[in-house]
Amino acid sequence: MRRAAWRFRATMVVLAVLLVVAVVLGVGLGAVGIAPGTVLSLFAWKLHLIARPDVPKSVEIIVFQLRLPRVLLAGVVGMGLAVAGLLFQGLFRNPMADPAVIGVSSGAALGAIVVILAGGAAILGGLGVAGAAFAGALVVAFVVYRLARIGPAVHVVTLLLAGIAVAAVMSGVMSVVMSFSGEQIRNIYFWILGGLSSRGWAALQVVTPIVFVGTAAAGFLVNDLNLLALGEERAAQLGVEVERTKRRTLALGSLLAAAAVSVSGVIGFVGLMTPHLLRLVIGADHRRLLPACVLAGPTILILADLASRTLIAPEELPLGAVTAVLGGPFFLYLLRRQRGARGGVLV
Amino acid sequence: MRRFLAPPVLAALLVSAVVAGACSKASPQSPTGPTTGPTTSTTTASTTTGGTSAPTPSPTGEQFPLTVTDDDGVEVTLDHPPTRIVTFAPSATEVLFALGLGSDVVGVSGKFDDYPKAARSIPEVGGAGEFGVDPNIEKVVSLNPDLVLTIEGGDQWKGQLRHLGIPVFTTNSTDLDDVMHDIQTVGEVTDAVPQANALTSHMAAQARSVDTAVSSESHVSCFFEVAFNPLYTVGPGSFIYDLLQRAGCDPVTSKAKNPYPQWSVEDLVRDDPTVYLVSSESGGTVADVEHRPGFDALSAVQHDRVYLVDSDLVSRAGPRVVDGLAALAHALHPDAFGG
Repeated sequence: MRRAAWRFRATMVVLAVLLVVAVVLGVGLGAVGIAPGTVLSLFAWKLHLIARPDVPKSVEIIVFQLRLPRVLLAGVVGMGLAVAGLLFQGLFRNPMADPAVIGVSSGAALGAIVVILAGGAAILGGLGVAGAAFAGALVVAFVVYRLARIGPAVHVVTLLLAGIAVAAVMSGVMSVVMSFSGEQIRNIYFWILGGLSSRGWAALQVVTPIVFVGTAAAGFLVNDLNLLALGEERAAQLGVEVERTKRRTLALGSLLAAAAVSVSGVIGFVGLMTPHLLRLVIGADHRRLLPACVLAGPTILILADLASRTLIAPEELPLGAVTAVLGGPFFLYLLRRQRGARGGVLV
Repeated sequence: MRRFLAPPVLAALLVSAVVAGACSKASPQSPTGPTTGPTTSTTTASTTTGGTSAPTPSPTGEQFPLTVTDDDGVEVTLDHPPTRIVTFAPSATEVLFALGLGSDVVGVSGKFDDYPKAARSIPEVGGAGEFGVDPNIEKVVSLNPDLVLTIEGGDQWKGQLRHLGIPVFTTNSTDLDDVMHDIQTVGEVTDAVPQANALTSHMAAQARSVDTAVSSESHVSCFFEVAFNPLYTVGPGSFIYDLLQRAGCDPVTSKAKNPYPQWSVEDLVRDDPTVYLVSSESGGTVADVEHRPGFDALSAVQHDRVYLVDSDLVSRAGPRVVDGLAALAHALHPDAFGG
């Protein structure tokens, strides 16, 4: 146990360092090359440490209006997705659970698409889409939960199946809607692919409080989730109010996923991958996984976003594609390696 | 995104979306002027030999049967002047109406065939989806056309129609001169050469007057937004790029590797164009553009040099393209047109 604690602390230190490195790289690199020294001096100036460095105004704009909010947004979205993934995996006691599986992502996507189609894409600087995505996700989470409820109990398998079915229906509806969406199909297409470009500070202001409060609230669920991992009956015997815990976990996970999806579009794999990777390193204790997700989720998405905007600059790869294409094989590699070492994947 | 849709279908739709209208890809054999004779199309009247570089007005139907190689490189033979024409591109519809052949158009692609207004009441042949990536073959056949006039792309359905004995004629206009050349060719194919001559000389005169007006102005740097989020623009080889240069502008996207490249906002801010042009197709308003993150730093925004451009005028390779040119020139050089 002591060794596990040491391992956890070491991991947290490494993750914190990686996060700082990711932020620095994210702000320092982009389509327009800006020397690291210039970026540092601009930050020093903003912190009132030095006089304004002699750089063109455009460089200042690029760093503070385009890159910094984007990096921070990637961080917040990554955190939201990772914590949501952790909650869903804990709830379903299933490593395959993520926001997409129970239909939350589809609900968010459909909500957003409806607003885009109604010509509301520009409302509140794009926040109309965010709000609709959010509403869509919560509605789906609620519907799925009600569908899965048989008598007083909600069985996890039923919940999972209901989620998959609702997600499939949503996808069908979306395809139909898209085939008749005319000129808006491009907006919808790119929204579904996911991305963080040109969201600015406004999106950050909306999503940050939700993700931070949601993550803090998740802290109250980690003990119950640990017990839930032993099975519902065991957990109930140990004093967990099983149904209440499941309800709260579902609501909180949906809230976090919806907040993330609402500003970034559909970004797969981060919610699935992050808790998984961490579980391989520090074990299945949710009390440790939660803070680790808070550090690792942002790092992963900031780096993925960096890749999306620099690999083929000045063009951008869709962020959702990057997380899947780069993250997937890496994830599989780790899984294979760990399976050899431990003989199985812990849940 | 994996579970929502079939990517290949979307990719196709996306391409249509980005280059919607009658934009076309760069062609190495772009003609240099309307008077240099056929370059991308060659015309041979089967009853005569040669003499195709300067088509002369001819009595109705004299040159038929007619064999013309279209811009897809397909030899198209017409036994008689077509009287039932289906268009599958808004630009083709506009060309036929401008040639006075509107009453011969029995089918159009879809709701984008909106000019002139009379075109709206013509049956639509667009297939699944509003973009009408492919025409509905059954619908086309039911209209009993003797010519389908369209733009590049869609080899599969074109082949299908040809197989059914319906001639398909394709034009691929790469720049303003090529538009006029292609209108001339369409005039030959539809037995409307005198009208085509009149139309293209009118267009050439309009283009010249723009040229005269901006010739004394120094070129301003500009950026043309095709779509936003992600940002798409035009590069060398695109139709709009040619118009921008003619209208007296040096697009900051001159180093773009393809005609419709994606562009980073960072590069845009660094290059800081004097004039920012937004295609109406992009969906935003001038105010939307000005309120985007980082855009307030652009000179064009600070000096109210952001203009909305009617995308139908600049992206459809039809007769109104000279109006688009004039609109661009007015935005870029208001002083040259008396403020």
